[in-house]
Parts: sequence; C-alpha cells; structure tokens
Amino acid sequence: MDPSHIRNFSVIAHIDHGKSTLADRFLEITGALQAREMEAQVLDAMDLERERGITIKAHPVCLHYTANDGQKYVLNLIDTPGHVDFSYEVTRSLAACEGALLIVDASQGVEAQTLANAYLAVENNLEIIPVINKIDLPSAQPEEARRQITDIIGLDGDHALLASAKAGTGVPEILEAIVARLPPPAGIEDAPLKALIFDSWYDPYRGVVIVVRVIDGVLKPGMKIRLMAEGQDYESLQVGIFTPKAVPVDQLGVGEVGFLVANIKKISDAKIGDTVTETSRQAVEPFPGFKPLKPMVFAGFYPVEGHEYPLLRDALEKLRLNDASFFYEPETSLALGFGFRCGFLGLLHMEIVQERLEREFNMDLVTTAPGVLYRVTLTDGTVKEIDSPAKLPDAGLIDVIEEPVITAMILTPAEHVGGILKLCQDKRGIQKALEYLASDRVLVTYDLPFNEVVLDFYDRLKTISRGYASLDYHVTGYWPSPLVKLDILVNGDPVDALSIIVHTDMAYERGRALAAKMRELIPRQMFEIAIQAAIGGRIIARESVKALRKNVLAKCYGGDISRKRKLLEKQKEGKKRMKQVGRVQIPQEAFLAVLKMGTDSE
Amino acid sequence: MLGLYIHIPFCSAICNYCNFNRGLFDTDLKARYVDALIAEIETARLKSCATLSPCATLSPNATVSPNATRSPNATVSPNATVSPNVAHDFGRARADTIFFGGGTPSLLEPDEIARIIRACESAFDLASDREVTMEANPESVTEARLAAYRRAGVNRLSFGVQSFREDELRRLSRLHSADRARAAFAEARAAGFDNISLDLMMWLPEQQLSEWLESIDAAVALDPEHLSLYMLEVYPNAPLKDDMARARWSQAPDDDVAAMYVEAMERLEAAGYAQYEISNVAKPGRRSRHNLKYWVDGEWLGFGCGAHSTRDGVRWKNTSATEEYIDQVAHGGALQVDIHHLTPDQQLGDALFTGLRLVDGIDVNAIQSRYGVDVWRRFGADLEPFLEAGCLRRVGSRLSLTRQGMLLAHEVMSVFV
Repeated sequence: MDPSHIRNFSVIAHIDHGKSTLADRFLEITGALQAREMEAQVLDAMDLERERGITIKAHPVCLHYTANDGQKYVLNLIDTPGHVDFSYEVTRSLAACEGALLIVDASQGVEAQTLANAYLAVENNLEIIPVINKIDLPSAQPEEARRQITDIIGLDGDHALLASAKAGTGVPEILEAIVARLPPPAGIEDAPLKALIFDSWYDPYRGVVIVVRVIDGVLKPGMKIRLMAEGQDYESLQVGIFTPKAVPVDQLGVGEVGFLVANIKKISDAKIGDTVTETSRQAVEPFPGFKPLKPMVFAGFYPVEGHEYPLLRDALEKLRLNDASFFYEPETSLALGFGFRCGFLGLLHMEIVQERLEREFNMDLVTTAPGVLYRVTLTDGTVKEIDSPAKLPDAGLIDVIEEPVITAMILTPAEHVGGILKLCQDKRGIQKALEYLASDRVLVTYDLPFNEVVLDFYDRLKTISRGYASLDYHVTGYWPSPLVKLDILVNGDPVDALSIIVHTDMAYERGRALAAKMRELIPRQMFEIAIQAAIGGRIIARESVKALRKNVLAKCYGGDISRKRKLLEKQKEGKKRMKQVGRVQIPQEAFLAVLKMGTDSE
Repeated sequence: MLGLYIHIPFCSAICNYCNFNRGLFDTDLKARYVDALIAEIETARLKSCATLSPCATLSPNATVSPNATRSPNATVSPNATVSPNVAHDFGRARADTIFFGGGTPSLLEPDEIARIIRACESAFDLASDREVTMEANPESVTEARLAAYRRAGVNRLSFGVQSFREDELRRLSRLHSADRARAAFAEARAAGFDNISLDLMMWLPEQQLSEWLESIDAAVALDPEHLSLYMLEVYPNAPLKDDMARARWSQAPDDDVAAMYVEAMERLEAAGYAQYEISNVAKPGRRSRHNLKYWVDGEWLGFGCGAHSTRDGVRWKNTSATEEYIDQVAHGGALQVDIHHLTPDQQLGDALFTGLRLVDGIDVNAIQSRYGVDVWRRFGADLEPFLEAGCLRRVGSRLSLTRQGMLLAHEVMSVFV
C-alpha cells in the first residue's frame, strides 16, 4: 500500500460528545458495514461500553474511501478510550496517528477532557481538525463552540467543521478533510521493522491478538519478531486488518494499521506502548514513551458466600486475560474471609471490573473502600509499597509515608470557581494555576492527594458546579504526608476490612463521620452493637446500634402462612447477603461507608 | 379433625387499613354468593378427596374438559377439577370448628348463616361440641339479631373492636364508637353468648403506651372470654398510609411498641387471662379451637372467595374475585388457584414456625415422629444464639419463645425456612 494514500487518525472528545456515533457514520458511508449490519455504535463492543456510552478499549478500523478527487484512500480510524483512567491508552493510540479529529459538542462546548486530549494530540505533533458536533440539537451554539475552540484550546475555530453525526450531516465533509488536511504517514520501507503496539487482547483460540501501527519496514507472517521491552522473540503467524472484521493480509507496510498473531500466551507479554521489531534486523531505537501500566487504586473483593471463592478466582483470572492493567492477589481478612486485593487504573476501571464480575460471572461481592498505593519508608531505610490499610506497618516503624498526587485540570464556568477552590482546599490540594481561558471559562489546576479524589471528589465537584465543571487528571508523583490508619471496631473488635488510611488533620472528623455512617447502615440486631473509631488504639468516636426490640407482625391465620413463609424467606435471604463479623451481621454497603459519608454528614 | 373456614367478603364500609379480601355490601350479590357458598360446601367432600389423592391433577390450568365423565350420580354441581378416577366417596370427613370470617359476616342474615351451617352438617361429620365462631362488627348487630345467629348455631362471637378510644377509631375510619362496642358486647351477652372474643390493635397512628393500655383496661372491664391483640400493619397501598401522610400521623418507635405489647400481656395475665399464642389470650378453656389448627400443623378447608385451605401437605386458595367465584361455582369451573404441594421440608418449616407462635411452642419429639427430623441436629446451631439471647427457651422436649422472643419471632422463625 502506498503510504501517500493512507491516513491514520484518532477521534478525541470529552465523554458523550458523540465520538462513537461519528465513527459509526464513517463505517456506514465507506461501506465497511451495510446499514442493516449496523447496530448502534459498533465499535463499543462490550455491552457495558454500549450501556454506559463510554469507550473502554481502543479499536482500530480500516476504511476504504474514494475521495472526491477519484483516488482511493485507506483511512485507519483509531478509536480512543474516553476516560482519564485509560489516558495512557489514549496517548499510545495518538502516537499511532498523524492526525486527530477533535469533537466538541455544540451545546456543551469545550470541556476538561477536550482540552486534555487536545493538548495530548499537540504533544504528539498531530494535525488536528476540530469538529463541532450535534449541531442539530435545539440547544446547539456552534458559534460559541467555535469561539471556545479558538480562545480556550488555541486551534483555528473558524475552520472547524460543523456536523451532526446522529443525522449524518457534515460527515462526508469530514472524510474529505481527513484526506486533504491530514498528512500521510512518513516511514522508510527498507528500514528495519518498527511497529507500535497500541492495543492487545486475548482470544481463546489464537492467543494474544496485538494491534500495531507499522512505522518503518514491513511486517509479514513467518517473520521472527521481537517485542523490545522484554526482549522476547516470537514467530509472526498471521497479520491482518480490521474492516472492522478481522481479515488476514499478506503484509503490513509503512503506515498501515492492523493485527498480529504470534502465539503469545499472556496479554502481559504484549504491553501497550511496546515496539515490535525483526529479531534478525532490529530497529535502532524502540518507540519512545513506553511505560508499563501500574494500578493505582486498590480495593478488596470478597465473595459474599465464602464457598464462592474459587469461582471468584476463576472469574478474576479470566478478566485478567484481557486486561493487563488489572491486578489481583489473594488476601485474607479476619472479617471477610478469603478474597482478593485488586488493583485498578482508577475508579471507573474498578467499577467496570466489579460490574463485569457481577454481570458476566454472576458473582455476589463485598467490596471494601478503594484506596491508593502508598509509599512507606521504614526507619531502617527500606521502602515498601502499601496497597491496603491492613498492610500499613506499625507507626513506630515508619519514617515517612508518601501518598500519590494527581494534577487535576478542572474546566468550569466562572461562577463556580469559588466553590471549586474551596473543595480543592478541603481536599488538601495545592493550587498550581488559575487561568481565565475565555471571559467565562476558567481552568483551575491543582495538585491533589489521589486518595482524596478517589473518595468522593468527582461527585462533589459535579454537585458544586451543578454538573458544569469537568475534570481531567493524571498521577504526577508522590509527596510526604502525615497519614495514619483509622480503625473501626465493632463490639470491641477491629474490623480489618473497614480500616482506612487518612490524613492526621482529618482523622478525628472522618472517624466520627464513619462511625455515624456505620450506625445508619448496620441494622438493629438481637443485642446492642458498639461501633468505635480508633487511631492507634485510641478511641476517637463511639456510636451504638440499639438492640432490636420488635420484629413480628401480629397475626398469622390460615391464609397468612404462605405469605409469612415468603416474608421469612426474604428476611433470611437478606441476612445471607450480609457478612457475619463475630456475632454482628454487617451489610455489604457498610464496607463502602467511607465513600458515602461525605454527602450526608455535611 | 378439620376446621371449616367460611369467607364472607362484604363490608358496609371499607376500613382504611384493611387488606382482607372484601368489597362493599350488595343485597343481590350477597344472595347469589350464599347460594354459591352452599353449593361449594356440598361438593366439598369430593373436592377434598381430589385434593387428598396423589393422582389428582390440581394445577389451575389442568381442568378436565366439560364432557369428561363424572361420578354417575353427580347431584353436586360439576366441579371440573375433580378427575373422574378419584371422584368416589371417602365418607364424610370429620370437622369440629366453623369460623365465619370476612369481611363482615354479621352482614349475612341469620337464616343465611343457618343454611350455611346446615350445608356443613350435611357435607361433614361435625362434632357435637363444635365451636362455631362468627366475626361481627359492633355497628351491625342488635340483641335480636345476635339471638337469631345463636339459634342458627353460632356459639362464639369475635368482635372487631380495635380500640376503645374515639380518636383512634376515627383515624382508622371505623364506623362504630367505643360506646357502641360496649353496647354490642352487652347485647351479645343478653343474647346468650358465653364465649366472646374482642380484637384490639396497638401501634395505631399517634397511639401512646398509656392510650393503648386504656383500651386494654376497657376490654378487661367487659370481661370477655378471649382477646386478640394485633399490631397495626400499614400496607403500602392502604388508604391509611395516605391518611397518615396527609395528617402527619406517626406510629410509635419500635421500643415503645415492645412496651405496649409486654405491658398489655402483663395486665391481661393479672386479670386472669393466659396468653397462648403471640397475639391471643384466653380465659381457661376458652382458646380459639379453630385458630389453633393454624398453629398446631392442623388441617382446614376454606369456602368462599379467596378462602385458603390446607390438607394433606397441599395448600390452595380459592379465586379471590367474588363475581368470578360465583360464576365458577355455577358453571363448574376451577375454583382453586395458587395450589402448592408442599415439600417435606416446607411442611416441616411451616410446622415449626407456626408452632413457635404458641406459648407452649413445639414438641421436638412430636416433630421427630411426624417428620423424622431431629430439630436439634438440623437447626440447633442456628437456634443457639436465640437460646443464649433469651429469646428461646427449651424445657424438656419443648422449644418455645419467651415473651421477649415473641417480639422477635421473625428473627427466630427465619431459621426454619
């Protein structure tokens, strides 16, 4: 394939600005799929993605397009995940492209992820075509969107294309612009093979399927190839393109995008961002910017019914086959029994895994409060990474605790700036910048402890700004922090699964709020239940759940027996779903109480 | 021995808290209903045989086609659920109680009650010392009328008094006053009734402990033989729920209800009543023999729309809608809906949780011989915490709830399902 007739591009957008719908239109217009084959949003393959309207995995598709000049082009559309949890995958996808369409919702305007993704595209030297989408909506303000593209992002808003992906208007013009305005790939055909891995998944029949973009050289079946990060060699068995169906081809040349099957057993062996080269003739330099994905958010997953532990283990194993960024290892809790400590890229990633376990694998789970990965330097100088409050060493052994820090970009209408600044201060943030990007649009940049963001930052941000502020963030480092472990005791016994790590200054308040929330969530039982919050053995708060006095409905005659049986069965079922800790039954949601206390206790 | 339950689905007004199967009174409908009831009772012998027979097909849609052969001398109205091969006479089953419940049975004329009792006598082998109870509302009776019921064969009355406080009765949209309730009681005595029960309700909207005890004292002053004490259950779709929301009435907290219950029981015991079931007390020898069948794993047949029956491990219910019931009886259609063949475990569970409602509780030896199950071995570990907490008591082979345990009965009972 002549590289001058190839265009590789991504579509980047804030969530819900219509990225996937536009991709569907491209498929339709270029005939990649007949209209009758179309199911809305073909590229979001997982049910979950379609339901939530988000893209989790990046999917490439090869479009054959005959332009107005009569020439035939191959347009490789590289879809990108739309959530900050997966921003590394976005950067790798962008690195595989020469250009990008930047979608802006005509009524919502530029939002934080629009901005963040635009910056990423600029950093990757991509040519950007701004597209103002959803112009058919009554609330559409295309001129305002144009102004924001110019004023806020610094792109040429006047040349932004107007479209309604849903109605199909303006879409042919976008395809023309891709051919006319985006550069073709530049690579050297005779050079040693150099291809970028920007996605991979596990196929039970073929092993790991790698998605690559060839930079230099040619990738063919039968070649001995090497994945440069690990230095492992494999034999290329099959290469192909996505139309969007996987179709084998003889070779992938310069600028082409497609898949590679090479008998690779584990998805963790084919890391996103890694470089594929030929074993006998290696690329001089691997693709820059490779970094292994590291989970940053951790939580315990436990089966409600202890005997389902092996089922949970199998389910996690299966999920991990297709998700190298997800981590798990066995963990034992005194309170919850056998389960797993799981690591995720972020909260959404965690929710997705949790939901897939419940839906696809029918697991009934108790999830403990999510926390982040702390770095602890002990007095003897050794450094430990702590992914669970239970693993936090004794305070006397700790020299320094460091917590992960994110840099958050919050884009908001000016009127909400006050509330947002206060929220960031409350969350122990440090202001980095405050810029008026346009008369009424403010970009607030803060360094914030990641743990505070994991807790309830996003919901509160949305509440404060009445939904108008948008957030993008990246983990940018660690800072030392005076942190302590807060324990919750139920009837005098610490419940390990309820412990959290908190900042000293907030420990007292959090302890009180958490104990109060637990009192709300634990139902009255046959005896009084004492709930205490403690730091290092010192009780800082106490609540009690009074003993249940009455659980009987007075009458039970002939016709009531069947109804009563149902009621008793329901009650028993409800109890089964609770975790027995000592004599006390604790409902599942109590283990996530820490996430819910912000809302009511204020 | 069987108990016979007769359902009378009519009321002169619909109470805002009631979820029983009932509708407003209509003379013509009532007459047709009584005829249908009598027809159903007369066929009961066959129906109960069908129910008993293991080969009887009882699923609601398994109706026999209209031209299926029936017993040749079928003078009874055709009952399509009876399969021909079991429609032979087992002899009249023995029964010793009849209970007219509702609705408001006292809306039936005494001669209608008499006809129904006669139908029972012809269809069943009724014990001579039978207990025949009729529920009555204080507003719908007179001494003459009550005397006529007594002549018809009724020998026990159960008055739905609910409260002796006017404000509470008003909130419940009851038609009678406390004085009418006292008068009705006196009329019943004058008519010769020596076995009268009163229903009272606690946990009424706005009711305080002292107010509830006023009703208890007022009841004791009348000296009835039997009392039933209920906690008001506000059903999600009851008009009372809306009334409460509109008027901002609330119910006392759980701790106070527990006190209402315990203090009432103590007061009644001091007055010579003995509690024998979670919500029933009686003078010696005056327990409700009919209702006891529900708690001692007994058997009963229900007649009329929505009436429930239990016999030989099968529970079923008649169709609820009054018109449909009459129609089905007239045309020989299937009356029975919701037919459940209980598994041995369900029978055991039901026997245990209903039995625990009795102050005497359950006899684990009797359970062992009836179901072949060792209660201690099967449920002991789950029961242990309740024994420890003082909710359950074990004396010899008997297992029973303490008074504190009765308030937490559902906690304990869920062990058995």
